Amino acid sequence: MLEVKQVSKRYDGGRGVHGIDFSMQRGEIVGFLGPNGAGKTTTMRMITGYLYPTEGMITVDGLSVHEEARKARSRIGYLPETPPLYPDLTVESYLKFVAKLRGVPAREQKMRTAEMVSRLGLTGREKQSVRHLSKGYKQRLGLAQAIIHKPDLLVLDEPTSGLDPSQIIEIRGLIRELGENHTVLLSTHILQEVGALCDRVLIINRGELVMDGAPDEIGARMENRFAVSLEVRGERERVESALGEWAEAKGISAEIREGTKPQVADESAAKSAENLRDSGQAAVLPDALRETSAEAAAEDTDGASPARRAASPEASAHAHESVRALLTAPGQEDFRIELFRFLAAADLPILELHKENLTLEDVFLKLTEDGGASAEEARSVRKPSASSRERAEEEDAGSPISEPSVSEPADPAQKSPTGGERP
Amino acid sequence: MNRILAISGKELRLYFLTPTSYFAFAIYILMSSFMFYVDFVTYQPSIIDYRLILSDMLFMLLIVVPILTMRLISEEFRQGTDELLLTSPASVTEVVLGKYLASLGVLLMLLVCNLVYPAIMSLFGNLNMLTLWLSLLGVFLMGASMMAIGLFASALSQHQMVSAVAGFVLLLLFWLAGSMTSQNETLSAWIQPFSLPDRISNLTKGVINGPDVIFYVSLAVLFVVLSIQVIERKRWR
Repeated sequence: MLEVKQVSKRYDGGRGVHGIDFSMQRGEIVGFLGPNGAGKTTTMRMITGYLYPTEGMITVDGLSVHEEARKARSRIGYLPETPPLYPDLTVESYLKFVAKLRGVPAREQKMRTAEMVSRLGLTGREKQSVRHLSKGYKQRLGLAQAIIHKPDLLVLDEPTSGLDPSQIIEIRGLIRELGENHTVLLSTHILQEVGALCDRVLIINRGELVMDGAPDEIGARMENRFAVSLEVRGERERVESALGEWAEAKGISAEIREGTKPQVADESAAKSAENLRDSGQAAVLPDALRETSAEAAAEDTDGASPARRAASPEASAHAHESVRALLTAPGQEDFRIELFRFLAAADLPILELHKENLTLEDVFLKLTEDGGASAEEARSVRKPSASSRERAEEEDAGSPISEPSVSEPADPAQKSPTGGERP
Repeated sequence: MNRILAISGKELRLYFLTPTSYFAFAIYILMSSFMFYVDFVTYQPSIIDYRLILSDMLFMLLIVVPILTMRLISEEFRQGTDELLLTSPASVTEVVLGKYLASLGVLLMLLVCNLVYPAIMSLFGNLNMLTLWLSLLGVFLMGASMMAIGLFASALSQHQMVSAVAGFVLLLLFWLAGSMTSQNETLSAWIQPFSLPDRISNLTKGVINGPDVIFYVSLAVLFVVLSIQVIERKRWR
């Protein structure tokens, strides 16, 4: 479908891209990832024929983008970073112009324009001038422009940048839909997007292709280990000794991260503290302030509390205790089934079991960071508490679609040695 | 050809959607009618000859053409719509020709506006039709070459104003080519033939002189080709 063969583009001062080499199959959605200035846009511009490469060949369906430009370009749809719109035209006249320009047969133009309008949710805005469209609608019109001639290859440069969360979801939905009968190459710097949309990821850094693979494979490929995090119900000591023994026998390193205190115990402790304070207050102010209903209620609980304390014995508290652990084994062998059977036999129910791979974020940082050592450092320092915070932040940033492989991002920026060291 | 028409259609539509072209037309009509009044009404006795007001009209083109052409290519670069045009199946040649065709359309409209004056003149006496039509042909040819120069200037920058100024300066150089060098005989012999307004005199006399027509046409072709090259060059950088 698309073949990019040893393509280079040199700019002054050594920037540009060097020796980019990849190919795409029909029907693939490929994510093009890289930090700012890595050469994503340059590469896309060369693929679409906007720029000519200094070296190398780009072919679409065997047609060179530069030598058989007309034929090749009519098979490509391109949405640049800023949608190429004429603010003075109306939506309808703009689409008609693009249809004519892209060589849509005259009798189909009207139909195709109407199709694009309805498909991209622009109905009712046909007569509106492009200038007055909101950013999201402009992006949709940009997308309409790129697909109006039914191209085989769709190249999208940061299709969701600058949109609000609901618009991002919509545009992603559209891209996914388009991916069913087009080949899509999209660039982005939002990592969740790749996880949510793409079958394959290309990571580019400083003008060179540094990684090519499926989003969930990449993590495993980057490092030779198999890691599982789990939450087990049971007393800490019992879990620790049982897991430790099992892990040692298997050559797996086990690390107990934290134990959660049972909820009920917490509650009753808080209650009794409150009661204590209340009674103290009562002692200081013996009669005057005893009329308020709040205090009356406090008195009530005070009266009830001895019975409650008796009703929450140690045993039940332990039954609700759970322990989190991280097991890491060298190699790629999957030990989850054995682990399950072992813990089941030991009467330690698994509450949660999660395969920990290098997330896309880790891979991205590792590949794009300057020194290998600092990347290694960034990867090894992972704070479990930080991950939940970052997840919350990311949801704020408007990327609610998350994939299992990306669902627990690390916090690589966290370089403090307080995080759990990974072997 | 379809793509050329698509692009020129879009450009013509944009001409009528942007205020600058109305502004240019307004200036043109205001100034030329003022000059017509001075030349035809206040100058007595009135002479019924289109050529009397022709020189004013030519001078107006010098101001109006850069305003009309400045947007053509520079605006595409500024808006990023060049990415649409250059990645479409249309070649750069088609894109530039489409735009040039649109500018010729606008030039024709200017000429039509200008027909009001000979129409008024003909009410008061007999107007020589041959010189009128040949003069108009001359103005069209000269305007066409000026539009090509303006188009080229527009390809040089992504700022409309820079394009307009560059276009005006280029046009002025061609305009004054004759008068600037009139003191020096040998230099004048070389430069004079490139003067824009000097070439039109034969046509206004009712004579179609081959070299004059070829001069205007080749000047237009030269600057259209240069515009194409300027855009094409950006792709290699």
